[in-house]
Amino acid sequence: MMKFKSLAGSVALSGVSVLALAGAAEAQTTITIWSLDDENQPALNLAQEFSDMDNGITVEYREIQFDDVVSESMRAFATGQAPDIIAVDNPEHALFASRGAFLDITDMVAESDVIDPDNYFPGPLASVTWDGKLYGLPKATNTIALYYNKDMFEAAGLDPEDPPATWDELVEAARTLTDPDNNVYGLAFSAKASEEGTFQFLPWAQMAGGGYDNLNAPGVVEALEIWETILDERLASPDSLTRGQWDSTGTFNSGNAAMAISGPWEINRMLEEAQFDWGVTLLPVPEEGAERSSAMGDFNWAIFSTTEHPEEAFQAIEYFASQDDRLFPEFGQLPARSDIEIPETGEPLKDAALEVFLEQLQYAKPRGPHPEWPQISRAIQDAIQATLTGQMTAQAALDQAQATVDGVLE
Amino acid sequence: MNASLRNWLLLAVALGLAALYLFPLYWMYVTSLKTGSEVFATPPGFVPRDAQWDNFPYVWSVRDMGSYIWNSLIIASGTTFLTAALGTGCAYVLARYRNMWIDIGLFLILMLQVLPASLMITPIFVGFSQFGLLETPRLAVILALTAKTMPFFVVLVRATFMSVPSELEEAALVDGNSRIGAFFAIALPLARNGILVSAILIFMQAFGEYVYSKSIIQSPALQPASVGLNAFMGPNTNEWNNIMAYASIYVTPILAAFVLLQRRIVAGLTSGALK
Amino acid sequence: MNRVISSFRDGKGFDIALVGAALLFLGIFAGLPLVYNVVMSFQAVDMFSLGTFARPFVGFDNYIAVFSEPIFWPVMRNTVVFVVASIGGQFVIGFGLALFFTLKFPGSTYLRGLFLVSWVMPGLVVGAIWNWILAGDFGVLNFALTGLGIIEDNIFWRSDTAFSLWAVIIANIWLGTSFNMILLSVGLASIPRDLYEAAALDGANGWQRFWTITLPMMRATIGAVISLGLIFTLQQFDLFAAITSGGPANSSNVAQYWAWDFSFRQYDFAKGATISVLMIALVMVASVIYVRSTRHEVRG
Repeated sequence: MMKFKSLAGSVALSGVSVLALAGAAEAQTTITIWSLDDENQPALNLAQEFSDMDNGITVEYREIQFDDVVSESMRAFATGQAPDIIAVDNPEHALFASRGAFLDITDMVAESDVIDPDNYFPGPLASVTWDGKLYGLPKATNTIALYYNKDMFEAAGLDPEDPPATWDELVEAARTLTDPDNNVYGLAFSAKASEEGTFQFLPWAQMAGGGYDNLNAPGVVEALEIWETILDERLASPDSLTRGQWDSTGTFNSGNAAMAISGPWEINRMLEEAQFDWGVTLLPVPEEGAERSSAMGDFNWAIFSTTEHPEEAFQAIEYFASQDDRLFPEFGQLPARSDIEIPETGEPLKDAALEVFLEQLQYAKPRGPHPEWPQISRAIQDAIQATLTGQMTAQAALDQAQATVDGVLE
Repeated sequence: MNASLRNWLLLAVALGLAALYLFPLYWMYVTSLKTGSEVFATPPGFVPRDAQWDNFPYVWSVRDMGSYIWNSLIIASGTTFLTAALGTGCAYVLARYRNMWIDIGLFLILMLQVLPASLMITPIFVGFSQFGLLETPRLAVILALTAKTMPFFVVLVRATFMSVPSELEEAALVDGNSRIGAFFAIALPLARNGILVSAILIFMQAFGEYVYSKSIIQSPALQPASVGLNAFMGPNTNEWNNIMAYASIYVTPILAAFVLLQRRIVAGLTSGALK
Repeated sequence: MNRVISSFRDGKGFDIALVGAALLFLGIFAGLPLVYNVVMSFQAVDMFSLGTFARPFVGFDNYIAVFSEPIFWPVMRNTVVFVVASIGGQFVIGFGLALFFTLKFPGSTYLRGLFLVSWVMPGLVVGAIWNWILAGDFGVLNFALTGLGIIEDNIFWRSDTAFSLWAVIIANIWLGTSFNMILLSVGLASIPRDLYEAAALDGANGWQRFWTITLPMMRATIGAVISLGLIFTLQQFDLFAAITSGGPANSSNVAQYWAWDFSFRQYDFAKGATISVLMIALVMVASVIYVRSTRHEVRG
């Protein structure tokens, strides 16, 4: 398996010419796929497999960086250079779908033997839907939960089997666990001024009865004030303001933070690098019995409306969907489907984590969908940053954000 | 005795300054040998705990760096050649006339490049797509990049030509040479060192460029190493140790060439070849 | 006489051809994109209409919108601080090093060459490395400063609003020092030795010689170095993206990053273009002031 993966990786990375050789039959159709997946992730490998199949279709795969997905594809679309298939982050799907940049695949899906929309979780499905039509298919899904270091819990006199369940308990635990002399923060998370900050904050807002369209609800203000407390008391690193989730969780893995809020994409690295016993628990709620919520992440497949090979492109997406049961065992990603039973991996930490994430996923809400999502998200990030740097109170910052969002939504 | 003591002292100070200044480079190498989480350890480790030499062959093969570096070489060479071909003559003429208008013109040429590549790329991409230049993406990058590097080249090389006494050229003209002949027979050979050195500086800049290449070159087989590096610096896939291993592989050959050539570069720049 | 005139003509044609080729090239590949930006700043731009010029004109609406952004003035202030501090720092350190290396000692040319390393390293890598050096908890800079007893608590360079802009400035000074030093070394080497000897005979001390000989003789070089520094500083984008992303709370946001943020994070291309036009205008004004001031100098 390993051998195949690295082989597939190098072949796909070296691009067209080699891929074309792989299926040197006559009348080959070439479709292009852009995605951010590298050799350890599904898209590149699945695209390679699809290309190798004897179906007259060759795939040209381009690995594209997270930050560049939208700007690159937009520019390409505007000048008629768009790829056939793209993997796009779910909150940005509506931006393209609403403008007719993506192909409406409702009818194709209806006729498909492989894809049945009813099998998909409602959140991910909502993110590919615009105006009642399907403009893509969820590629995978994820959400965030609370990782914690059981060894540190024990050392600090906390019960490692009873992790924090409410916001107050979280702050209390963070206070107990923070140990500046040993360079340990209670919590690691990301309040970065990017989509990551929005992704981390929205669950808190939603659990408190708010949401992206209701940002200055009292509960949301309280949530942001708790974030402020966490930073003011140095329960988390001040660099949480400029650091993404992956880097923040890196400090958890190296034993410099006792808890971390992040997603299932961390599991494989943590297994490899964390030299301690750890667990995952659901995101703490405002108070006991409160409604749970979470943010829904990950990418969607979509076909550009400018494609000359809609059938072949759809065939590729059908193939990807048919391989969804391999997502977790091979790549550590969660399929966005309720009909797939994820098998045990035999790795106790991984299986336990998976169980928590699957439960958390039930409460995951999509961001939007709204074609102006980047501007909504920007308003939320500005409020977070203004509050956490002490420039505004949480109330004032969120009032301002709500005014901006109202302007976008009207 | 006194003089040699002074020399040793100066050398010690210079070594100290160099060590301080080269620290980021050292840090790149150290990080490339660490494990993923050791990168984030507090306090920072100045020597890797358990050097991961495997990072290098791993990155080289998984990332197929050979083809990327080849493309980098093509793009950097093409840019250097085109910049030198177009810029040398321009610099020569601008050095021959000396008045305020030339200064202003030169400044305006510089200011054409005031915007970062990340802002120029959209119009360039749109323009190139209209003229079909995207079909030959590496050439397109060379063209765009040449426009970016030329002002710098012209400023440097103009200074070189200003140090070539115009009397020599006039003498050649009197001897019956044409202007073109005088340019190629007198001015160009005398300015050779400065042009060479400036071209090397341009080459190094072009070797590291990535904004234009990233957008213009869509096929991975044609992309340079900088884009290959950029592709795995995303939020969820950034293995810093591997990234730095990639960067080390990518930078070290130029660095080595540079250390070998640098005596000549610096000597060429400071011994009066470039005034 | 005829021969002189014809060769003059011949020469002029030759000159025009040489300059013309370069200018034509620059006009197409650098000038037109700028024009595109200017046009866009007067239009309503939709992310999907990037490929065409036919877009509705909206007059100065984009400019009004940009001016009325609450962070407009803070960003402009940051831009000026960034440019002045970066150029100043690069120049002073670069000049200091250049002067230091004029003291001949064994290995001096060799060591000077090593300082060009910052020129060789790709911007991406430089940004990533400074990102860690400046990190608050595990960053090497804090580690060194606390070790030396200069600071007691870690400074969160990237995340403290009081330091974030300076974090980028420090990295940018590091980046630009090398080309300042090399170009200034070249200028220093071109000053004739006998000038200094004559001044020494007149009894001028080192300080006086620096002010009366070195600086005036270096005017052209210094002008070139500073103009190049201005462009490299205004072009600087990688470091912002890598270190602070303009944050926290826009405390390190500068015009060039803001323009990119509008265009590629919020997909508001018109406002992004508007800010870039303002940047060009700013540089034009600065250059006019500069040219006027040098003209006065020459005459007075």
